[in-house]
Amino acid sequence: MQYVVPRNFRLLEELEKGEKGTGDGLCSYGLDDSVDDPVNMEYWLGTIFGPGHTAHENRIYSLRIFCGKNYPNQPPKIKFVSQISMNGVDPETGVVSAEQIGVLKNWRPSTTMLTLLKELRLEMASPNNRKRAQPAEGLEFPARISRSGERSESMPW
Amino acid sequence: MATTKRILKEVERLNKDPVPGILAQPIEGNIRYFDVLMDGPSQSPYAGGRFKLELFLPEEYPMAPPKVRFLTKMYHPNIDKLGRICLDILKDKWSPALQIRTVLLSIQALLSAPNPDDPLANDVAEQWKTNEKLAIQTATQWTQMYAKPSQ
Repeated sequence: MQYVVPRNFRLLEELEKGEKGTGDGLCSYGLDDSVDDPVNMEYWLGTIFGPGHTAHENRIYSLRIFCGKNYPNQPPKIKFVSQISMNGVDPETGVVSAEQIGVLKNWRPSTTMLTLLKELRLEMASPNNRKRAQPAEGLEFPARISRSGERSESMPW
Repeated sequence: MATTKRILKEVERLNKDPVPGILAQPIEGNIRYFDVLMDGPSQSPYAGGRFKLELFLPEEYPMAPPKVRFLTKMYHPNIDKLGRICLDILKDKWSPALQIRTVLLSIQALLSAPNPDDPLANDVAEQWKTNEKLAIQTATQWTQMYAKPSQ
């Protein structure tokens, strides 16, 4: 029988790795502690330190990540909290397009949240994005959490 | 594979000769992944509760310990918000001579003997040390709220 790590234990592994630090510190992530009952480990926060010699240099981008029930067989959902102008990122909401961004489109169960953040960072430095005019630093996309404050797979933010 | 044989043997024994108050069943499709139901020990704030856990045997098992966590919300100084358990045999005191059965029995024993001096949930441990009566009362309440067998 093939060796498969179930979702929850895979996420616990990723959590431990994220808590220990991810090496170069250019991308980091952790569980969103503001959730009442985090036992399902669905809501995560990430940061990307803008790549040097680009329009993103010295900026710290915050992101939200949602890992559904079928993670890691299905990719997570991810959105920028910090405003950014970038191909494949919805200019109104900051949601990263699963169709346009390669790492989501070509997602494999072995891909991790860290890989995802690192790939997005590479994308920020790609010829299409590196010199794009950016919104003022510190602005955020509107938080589109449903009015009741409830979050779910269909509306994770 | 020898590991698979060992796992199957352990499962067979868990079925034939179950541990009282503990039910461990492999989850369909993955012989390393178990659903566990554990009754709270009598004479403890967890008495009358039935707690849900999940257990996974990593690739290195039995050279490495099983990974276990509570899925039911717990008020216990050695169990954190994610249900992770601070127990020596799940870490450096693991030995391949131990089994799923012994691990689950040790976890059940931990419910009877909370150890606030080696905490995982710091706020809970603090409460346990400063006002044990209130801590036990909260643990009893949580058992009523989150661990009723019907749920």
